[in-house]
Amino acid sequence: MLTIVFRAIIIYIVVLFLYRIMGKRQLGEMQPFELVLTLIIADLATIPMAEVSVPVLHGIIPLLTLVVLHFVLALFCKWSGKFSQFVSGKPVIVINPKGIDYKALKNLDISIDDVFESLRGSGYFKIEQVQYAIMETNGKMSVLPKSDFAPLTVKDMKIKVEKSTIPINIINEGKIVKENLKIANIDELTIQNIFKKAGVKKVKDVLLLTIDKAGEVYLQKYYETYQTMTIKPLGEVKE
Amino acid sequence: MTKWLWFKLISVLAILAVVVGMCVLEDRIVKTSLAAVNNRCYEIEMAIERNGGIVNGEVASLVDNLEYQWFKDEAGMCYLVNHKNTEQLGVEIVRLKTYIDEEEEIEFYVSLNIIKNYVETFQHFMGAGVENIL
Repeated sequence: MLTIVFRAIIIYIVVLFLYRIMGKRQLGEMQPFELVLTLIIADLATIPMAEVSVPVLHGIIPLLTLVVLHFVLALFCKWSGKFSQFVSGKPVIVINPKGIDYKALKNLDISIDDVFESLRGSGYFKIEQVQYAIMETNGKMSVLPKSDFAPLTVKDMKIKVEKSTIPINIINEGKIVKENLKIANIDELTIQNIFKKAGVKKVKDVLLLTIDKAGEVYLQKYYETYQTMTIKPLGEVKE
Repeated sequence: MTKWLWFKLISVLAILAVVVGMCVLEDRIVKTSLAAVNNRCYEIEMAIERNGGIVNGEVASLVDNLEYQWFKDEAGMCYLVNHKNTEQLGVEIVRLKTYIDEEEEIEFYVSLNIIKNYVETFQHFMGAGVENIL
């Protein structure tokens, strides 16, 4: 039994390492060859885990071989557009300004119901709201709405607004993130001033403290409602 | 190239080297171990011929050597070869010792031939070849 435990640990570490090398795409939107790889890896990893007579290397070597193959395939796909198209296919327009392209649907072997499902997933419930719908190579549908149905943007309204900035976590679960202090270009004195305003005594009482470039502060103590305040805008934020 | 891409490239090259290395290592270890067993079987046959039978010290000693050699090599092979593919050889070697004790010469030859046959045919069913790949 102990053998199986150790085997499981070894294989878990190897598979985890391999997925890290293959990149985040493997975890989300996958191309066909990536999906195949994921399915095979899942199966291969379990064989030596449970079967003690099979050397653990019999599971690991095919996994390693597949990762090398995947790397080579991905490299070829980057170099050659045609090869990439051959392996992953190409995006297909399924809805155009004339309506649904039934020929494209037949080629993709998908039904009208599938199209509607994808449209609804994108937030469009009527087909006349859609100018173009494109079936991507990873099986997801990208939708471009008609101008009349496109969401209103600040640009459309011609309003001047502040540029959006990403809030920086300064205190996370009672601990100061020192790395982020440097990025935000603030010192602990600034934090003490915020604490005074918010009535906070200790760092460990704070669940979350974030500050953005415009000086907007979000502070929440454990088990209490959050507070917001504005301090003077931060200096140059290191990206 | 970023540090991450270098890491990825080096990892893939290292993996490739490990895969190739393992294949070569397996081939070498298996061939060496089986060749050693084959030689020991030949020595046993010669000893039987010299002594006119299986019940003598020389044959018993050679069978002991064969057993020692095989179990030593098998320990190394376990990392690379499915245990089920090698266990038969160990069983037949142990039988050889029993047949000497029981003076069963015919059975002894049968087991010796099974061992020789296993050694000869191992590469046919385990080695790299189109028929095994397909």
